[in-house]
Amino acid sequence: MATSTATLRSATLDRILQDYAAIAARLPDAAVPRAQRAHALAALSRLGWPRASDEQWRYTNLRAFEAVAAFRPAALAPAAPAPDVSDALELPPPLPGFQRLVYLDGVRHSAVATAGNGTGSAASASAGKDWPAEQRLGLLCDMFASDSAALRIRGSTAIELLFLTSAAAAGAGCYPRLQVTLDPDSELNLVERHLGAPAAPTLVCANVRVEVGRGARLMHYRLQQCGPQIAFADTLAAQLDEQASYSVRQVTIGAGSARTSAQVRLTGRGAAFSWQAIAVGRGQQVHDTALKVEHLAADTRTEEVFRGIADERARVAFSGHIHIGASAPGSDARQSLRGLIEGAGAEIDLRPRLEINTDEVKAQHGATTGALDENLMFYLLARGIDRTTARALLKWAFLGDVLRAIELPQVRRAAEHGAAGQLPDVMAIGALT
Amino acid sequence: MSSAVDTAAPSPSSAAPLLEIRDLRVKVAGQEVLRGVSLTVRAGEVHAIMGPNGSGKSTLAHVLAGRPGYDIVSGSTSFQGRDLFALAPEQRARAGLFLGFQYPVEIPGVNNAYLLKAAVNAARRERGLAELDAFEFLALVRTKIKLMQIDESFLSRGVNEGFSGGEKKRNEILQMLVLEPKLALLDETDSGLDIDALKVVANGVNTLRAADRSIVLVTHYQRMLDYVVPDFVHVLARGRIARSGDRTLALELEKRGYDWISDQVAA
Repeated sequence: MATSTATLRSATLDRILQDYAAIAARLPDAAVPRAQRAHALAALSRLGWPRASDEQWRYTNLRAFEAVAAFRPAALAPAAPAPDVSDALELPPPLPGFQRLVYLDGVRHSAVATAGNGTGSAASASAGKDWPAEQRLGLLCDMFASDSAALRIRGSTAIELLFLTSAAAAGAGCYPRLQVTLDPDSELNLVERHLGAPAAPTLVCANVRVEVGRGARLMHYRLQQCGPQIAFADTLAAQLDEQASYSVRQVTIGAGSARTSAQVRLTGRGAAFSWQAIAVGRGQQVHDTALKVEHLAADTRTEEVFRGIADERARVAFSGHIHIGASAPGSDARQSLRGLIEGAGAEIDLRPRLEINTDEVKAQHGATTGALDENLMFYLLARGIDRTTARALLKWAFLGDVLRAIELPQVRRAAEHGAAGQLPDVMAIGALT
Repeated sequence: MSSAVDTAAPSPSSAAPLLEIRDLRVKVAGQEVLRGVSLTVRAGEVHAIMGPNGSGKSTLAHVLAGRPGYDIVSGSTSFQGRDLFALAPEQRARAGLFLGFQYPVEIPGVNNAYLLKAAVNAARRERGLAELDAFEFLALVRTKIKLMQIDESFLSRGVNEGFSGGEKKRNEILQMLVLEPKLALLDETDSGLDIDALKVVANGVNTLRAADRSIVLVTHYQRMLDYVVPDFVHVLARGRIARSGDRTLALELEKRGYDWISDQVAA
């Protein structure tokens, strides 16, 4: 259906365009080439600011994104080596064996960077690639990013990326930008964490592009633990070559409102993708994830597991769309989505979708939403466990299969503590000893 | 021991009743499943409740343990002199009532050790005893694990997660041994066990036998009773205890089946 440009214009889009016009000349070409910024500007102008009436955006709390005072980036240039970033934010302990890169308000903070070969800040190689309509917030990052992390991996390595939002960023935007390219047969353990709790509504709008070469393996841990004033948008695009393997373990517990939009293309024969994620919302948090996986080659595999808990008045949504194309016989796609409603005003929305256009595929999907299983509850009560503890144990168990899939102990502990922090009754019983 | 119909029942002991059920009527989804069950279980006794499928055996066990979904129409049940139905399921367990499940659930993410320790300490708190610390708990559980021929690695696994049917039943008995209940209700614990597993489970049950404890075995077949010899056998048919006796009644049932008793009740 054609829609006139006039109807797509909104006050928010006008503000974005004004902010961009005011700062465009000062945005560094080294992060995003000027032509690509202009391309993103044109695309967003054409698509318009998303509306809640759009199916793809109906579970996103767009108001939280619209409440940000300014879309201009909070920082334009790499921070000076001093003062140490730890003065502004408490950094998590380093991960043994990992190189650590720190980005503060979207810009590389050189004081605490320990980058090795193949890492650095540079314009991404993805110039000219469009974000589709359901990923249009990625265009904001292309327009406003002040820096860009580019990782090109040969051999085997482990990298931790910390994206921090400082108090100074309050009211503005932070645009973490990451390009990860794995050469054939290389291997990367990547930890991506988003932290920070400014005092006023702040936008964190991240773009991640991933290319996994033939026979390469990427294990990608993603922890979003931002403060409640942050509106967090996370746009990811990945492409997997022949026999490549890409595994994501995602933990979404922070931000007042968060939207993750990921699209993964399995273009090489035998490519394997795994997405195991939890989202735990409480208060009035909104966590919305939209994941689309396209099987475009034979013998490709997808495993998708999502566990969401909505407590109090929170809303947790997950849309999982798996498309198996005509060129992908022998594909295997499994999807398990489960939601747990804990609060009287809470909401869970799970939308599984399997689209199969070829024969000889294995596919299974299941989606359930509800309260705690009464059979499990009775079993614990029948052992003398009190009701409060039983509830907490079962909530913890509900998240267990995803948390246990986090193989790195330090990352798993961070994820567990973060998730338990969202569930005070779990914290109270000390289930995560 | 008393029941609706007594035939060749052995004399009751002089011990005080641990469990006393009087004319219990229970509905499930509007249908009466228990239609006036009376039963007295004294300390030290082992009772077997047998009966055909659908006779109400498991319903009785679950009602006593406090499972929701049952409508208690009339009757009373006391446990150690307390009104059992006034207690929540967890209070019943802490007071010393244990239900061994026919189909133990799997709870991935809650490990066996955590559950057992929490359960033991909940019961100890109830009795005014100090909680066990990690070392004391481990010392206790190790002796029971050995008895049940369970690998110690089970402790760190999720409750019944990936266990075979036999392993689940052994785990139920392990929990029972660690919790040392006053009254164990074992709901078809023998179902699905091969002969070796049956012997291990029966040995565990016999270990619990003591002058101050009682066991109620709910079973469809008499083979478990070769290893755990009951003091009393009751036949539940159409929601009533239709016949009671000693263990020879179980042998008779083995020969004749349940139809003759069900027919008597229908008549």
